[in-house]
Amino acid sequence: MKALPEILKEIRPEFDFGASSDFIADGMLDSFDMVTLVATLDKTYGISIQGTDIVPENFKNLQTIQTLLRQCGVQL
Amino acid sequence: MGPVTTVAQVFGAIQMAKATASAFCTNFFPAQGKLQAWIDHGELLGELRDRSAFFLRKDRDFWHLYFCASDVATLQRDIRELPALTTERVAIDLVGSEALLGEVLNAVESAGFRRYSRLVRLARPGEPARPQSPANGTQVLCADQSDGPAIISLLESSFDRYADQLPALYEIEAAIASRQVLAVKHAGALAAVLYFESQGFTSTVRYWVVAAEFRSHRFGSAAMRHYLASQSAVRRFILWVTADNENAVLKYRHYGYAPDGLIDHVLVNNLINP
Repeated sequence: MKALPEILKEIRPEFDFGASSDFIADGMLDSFDMVTLVATLDKTYGISIQGTDIVPENFKNLQTIQTLLRQCGVQL
Repeated sequence: MGPVTTVAQVFGAIQMAKATASAFCTNFFPAQGKLQAWIDHGELLGELRDRSAFFLRKDRDFWHLYFCASDVATLQRDIRELPALTTERVAIDLVGSEALLGEVLNAVESAGFRRYSRLVRLARPGEPARPQSPANGTQVLCADQSDGPAIISLLESSFDRYADQLPALYEIEAAIASRQVLAVKHAGALAAVLYFESQGFTSTVRYWVVAAEFRSHRFGSAAMRHYLASQSAVRRFILWVTADNENAVLKYRHYGYAPDGLIDHVLVNNLINP
């Protein structure tokens, strides 16, 4: 199974996600990227992230995305 | 609809629509700074329903409509009941991949909106263009505040106000203060403008335009090359362009931009005539 940094790299290969603590402020993810990322995470981990969880604070950095995945039942 | 006076009202309304959501849908992705500016200028109205929220933003002689709904069926039911649709000119943007927009498009069309324009997003990796010698001694400078009225006049005469999200004068003044409006002048007149927004590693060209009387002087090219070369920290350049404007799409392709799959369908109600 692909790791989260690898998934992010596939969506936005031009960015170094490991070097940022705020993907939104750093212009690395926008609202539309979040929708793409959610679809990829759903497919990769066999989960269904709720629309109510598609908010910037859940996609701010690797930690917040991992927290969201854990809440959806993913064991990381 | 009533006036929105705080950012918290907006986020509260969105949260309420989300609370009952089974398949939340929205076209409202407000950045807090922009939202505050709209509220400060009295441009935003809002209406909260049981499972949906609607916002209207004043823009010149019409309104932009934004929605948040718990699901598409709720959107389809509630949007038809908005009184403004029968009395005001209203435009709505639906953004996403083409494959995912079908249901929402149908819901909005069933409320009397018709398709007006289709924009595509283009993206370019962040490899700065090689600086070139200015053509004919062309100097590209940051616009100054006194250029604001000429810039708004050029944008309004060159773009479509319903489809292209034209800025208000106060937004242009803020962009000028942030040094995000490049200008080329010729004999004292504004010949070309490149208006952009950079955030972190991403930069968006909002408008790139050459005044009709100054075309074929390579002023636009000078502005674009200056822009690309000046954004050395940027890793991703993006912009929106009308899909059937082949001339513009070709120009952007020349600078390395290519479609990234995101579409913006602009629909208008029947009070906006062709």
